[in-house]
Amino acid sequence: MRYSVSHLTTMRYAQAARMGQFNVRLRPAAWPGQTVADFTLALDPQPAQVIEGSGGYHVNEARFILREGTEQLQIESRFTVEVDPLPFFIGSASGPPVADLRRRAMEKRDLSNTAPASYIFASSIAEPDAGIARWASSMMEEGTPVMEAGRALMSAIHREFAYDTQATHTGTAPAEAFSRRRGVCQDFSHVMIIAARAHGVPAAYVSGYLRTLPPPGKERLVGADAMHAWVNLWCGEELGWVGFDPTNDCLTDTDHIFLGMGRDYADVAPIDGTFHGSSEQKMFTSVDVAPLD
Amino acid sequence: MSTRPAPGRTTQWLDGYRASGGDLFGDAPAGVAGCWHKVAAGLAALADGEPAALQEATARHAADLGLAFRLTGDEDERPWPLNAMPLIVGAQEWRRVEQGLVQRAELLERLAQDIYGPQSLVKEGHLPAAVVAGSPFFARRMVGRTPAGGRFLHVYAADLARGPGGQWRVLQDRVRVAGGVGYALENRLAMSRAVGDLLAGAHGRRLADFFAQMQAGMAASCRRENPRIALLTPGRFNQTYAEQAHLARYLGLPLVEGRDLTVLDGRLYVGTIAGPKRVDAVWRWIDTTALDPLSFDARSHLGVPNLFEAWAEGGVGMVNWPGVEVLESAAFAAFLPRLCRVLLGEAPLLPNIATWWCGQSAERSTVLSRLDDLALLPAFGQAAEGLDSREPVAAAQIDAARRTALIDALRRRPMDYCGQEIVRLSTTPAIIDGRIAARPFTVRAFVARGPDGEWTVMPGGFARLSSSTALPTSLMGAGDLSADLWIVDEKPAAPHTGSRIAGEPQVSRGGGILASQAADNLFWFGRYNERAETLVRIVRAILANPADSDGNVSPGASTLPRLTALLRDWGAISPATAQLPVAGICARALTETRLPGGVATLMRRRQQVGMALRERFARDFWRIVSRPMPSIRVDQPQSMLGSTRWLTEHFSALAGLVAENMVRSAAWHFLQLGQRIERAQAICRMARQLDPQTGDGDPAVTLGLLLDLCDSQIVYRSRYLTRPVTGPVRDLVLLDPDNPRALAFQVAEIVQHLAALPSLRDDNVPEAPLRAARALLGELHAASAADMTTERLAVIEVRLLSLSDAISARYFLQLDTEEAERRSRLL
Repeated sequence: MRYSVSHLTTMRYAQAARMGQFNVRLRPAAWPGQTVADFTLALDPQPAQVIEGSGGYHVNEARFILREGTEQLQIESRFTVEVDPLPFFIGSASGPPVADLRRRAMEKRDLSNTAPASYIFASSIAEPDAGIARWASSMMEEGTPVMEAGRALMSAIHREFAYDTQATHTGTAPAEAFSRRRGVCQDFSHVMIIAARAHGVPAAYVSGYLRTLPPPGKERLVGADAMHAWVNLWCGEELGWVGFDPTNDCLTDTDHIFLGMGRDYADVAPIDGTFHGSSEQKMFTSVDVAPLD
Repeated sequence: MSTRPAPGRTTQWLDGYRASGGDLFGDAPAGVAGCWHKVAAGLAALADGEPAALQEATARHAADLGLAFRLTGDEDERPWPLNAMPLIVGAQEWRRVEQGLVQRAELLERLAQDIYGPQSLVKEGHLPAAVVAGSPFFARRMVGRTPAGGRFLHVYAADLARGPGGQWRVLQDRVRVAGGVGYALENRLAMSRAVGDLLAGAHGRRLADFFAQMQAGMAASCRRENPRIALLTPGRFNQTYAEQAHLARYLGLPLVEGRDLTVLDGRLYVGTIAGPKRVDAVWRWIDTTALDPLSFDARSHLGVPNLFEAWAEGGVGMVNWPGVEVLESAAFAAFLPRLCRVLLGEAPLLPNIATWWCGQSAERSTVLSRLDDLALLPAFGQAAEGLDSREPVAAAQIDAARRTALIDALRRRPMDYCGQEIVRLSTTPAIIDGRIAARPFTVRAFVARGPDGEWTVMPGGFARLSSSTALPTSLMGAGDLSADLWIVDEKPAAPHTGSRIAGEPQVSRGGGILASQAADNLFWFGRYNERAETLVRIVRAILANPADSDGNVSPGASTLPRLTALLRDWGAISPATAQLPVAGICARALTETRLPGGVATLMRRRQQVGMALRERFARDFWRIVSRPMPSIRVDQPQSMLGSTRWLTEHFSALAGLVAENMVRSAAWHFLQLGQRIERAQAICRMARQLDPQTGDGDPAVTLGLLLDLCDSQIVYRSRYLTRPVTGPVRDLVLLDPDNPRALAFQVAEIVQHLAALPSLRDDNVPEAPLRAARALLGELHAASAADMTTERLAVIEVRLLSLSDAISARYFLQLDTEEAERRSRLL
């Protein structure tokens, strides 16, 4: 599938924000089965300099500074992307059992930003939670093949949690979303990450996009009008990282466009930064993912 | 008093000393044991044979130095518990420790270089990736970013335990912050005061060289010749702020907070009253994760946005390099013996406490099979399921149910746990409850690079005497004592030459740079102090009978409402309080802490801004500032009068120290500016309130009170033979340029101070605050007493207010009104 993606963010401040320093993570990082072309990032006001770099984990990051006060900042990214279908063998594989996978993850001599060891430990948002660990334990038995465990977790979240955009916000702790059994893709992904890591399975937070318009005869996927998030589980050397979307109860395939991967939302947040001025701000986002084929 | 010596009263303090197991004194070879006896005799002689007396004298010296600390959750600082009995280690024994520490420092340096460089240890299988990735301090962004001089570590500290057999071992490595290095220094200073030349007599090594080496080492890594090295503190609420402030003062480093600093074009600047000044290197006392909210934790308000860019581009040196904290974890310690052989090709000279990381199956089996003999602890200093604390817990002490849960958690996430051998500690003689008793101890030792890059070990350290046998994990716990560590040579050391340090420093005058933040604090210190003093004067005027000796000026009923109105307008008392009897009003004004203008509130505010200035003030000054207020009893007006007298003397003592002892630097100018502006405003306000034309009562009494409050009664009487009359009184307290309590005098002083401050302009045109002050002074010079109406005074008060605003706009950091909104965060 080929898509044209555009993502427009408008920030409005109650009073002019001075000395704003921003990180923008909107350029898709390289990912198997996905080819990106024609990426553009338009900023208004245009800063003197935009420094492109890597954001620690598997995510691209552009940093810029606005010295002059501004009441509005617009950030627009556009790109086209070609997404290959999920290889058939992954969809049907079961992967090594949880205990075996844990051992493999620990033995892998890799410290890179896609290494399993980099995603096996707690992170600032995805903190360990005994409740989530217990809830997941029957799905994560030592002998359960990891793909099976991942599907079970994903389906359980889809089944037990209500999709509710009013229930949570970007700062809601995963444990709270878990206890209320509601939230959005971000909350579901964090809960699944905590559950997997509690059993020693490397799990990463993926930010990305979903196709906006469903193919004829199919239902529109939930969360397509904004950014989307899902979970990558490391399923051993052969399968590598496999995307599980607990919001839609499916493995990621041609409807999912990969943007970046980190330990949790904080590593891949599309925009963050600091500025001087009133903390009152409003953010408007519009995302369009149009199929080109 | 009996003449018989008390039980401990002997000069042979160590004769009856007994310790079970290993003991620093008990194990000492003959020469060193002789030294112990000599020192003990010296100490006994100082204290007339009474250990308790010596302990008390030492505590007093520690308090005099301003030593203090906080434990987590403490609102106020605690007095510093320094034991008067030093730990004595012979040069021979210490030599092995030194060699081990230098080897370990080198090993840690090489490890940091590899982890943030080629990562070959991981790739070749010597170090599991998870041991690095598991640390919350692994700064992935720092991979591939190496310091310009190639050195990751400049200062390194290690907690050492001495086992019962006399073997020294490393309990923990500290590369993030060398906490305790300042306390070690302060302990030594307090001991030198308490015991005089006993240290030199015992051939004890001095510490000064170590600090000189360390500082020269930091400077050598900078590119500029006279680099500015700043100590970056998390702020005055930090547990060890007192230590940081002392270090900064001792080493002459500017003490800065994140908000003082800005990154511009890849370089770091500190905001000063003379504009931004370049900072060449930062000695950080902040975790890597909090250093830069843009690159690490966006929630942190301690750091400097984009500081990363500055260090990554070589614009600022970092001590130590960000990310090195990854080496501190217990999991890492488990691999150090092996890595020492791999990287240095030699066995560790100083073993660390035996540690097994459960992330590997063989080690996990070892830990599980020997569980009862071991302590368990989180592998990465983070909370781990089933363990209550981050400190080692003896597994044998965990009850059966929790043990099952712990083993289950350990099976699911073995990588979060370490097993550790249970260490027993040597003891050392200490003064406990007036007697010499054995106490288990640990030592924090310090290592730093000199200018040539070679490692130097501090010949001494920070000793901690535990109240229990549990291993200490923080610098000081409740109930613990600290002690000085003396390294003694057999022969006296060669006279101090300071050979390795480049000769005499360049002559310099002035107080160095003045950070805008510090200037702000000084200004407000001056203001709070002056306002508190004014209010105390008013309270005194209410309490005291203002009648003179002839009895011809009596306190009319009319003056009390005027004085109460002053207290109320300043926010020292509430309108309801103003209705109370006199004693009640006065007591409230002095003790009020809820209203912003109460004397107690102002004194507390003064203390708070003063905390951040501690390294700038002389110790005597700070000691007077921190003295608690005398108690105020509403039922005893006489004692209240005594308290106000005490307070007045307190303010005079401070004023005296400032006048006689404070260097006339920019810091002094700001302290004075705050005081003068406050006093000028107070004079206007009091002259308006004590206007004889308004209200009833005898005008002479009202004016006499104004003279009293402005401390001008005596001058008036010597100059005029009449009772107080409006014109002459107004001239004396408002316009007389020679009366140090007159308004015109204050404004003239303000002009002088502003003129002495550095200018940002190079065209010699005065800056806005100076122009405003001069305009006001000109008017006062031209005015006559008759012009000084109440209306005119109100206008002048407003102009003083805008002058104060102009000073903050020009010299202080432009912060938004609310601290919380100072730097807002997205998302």
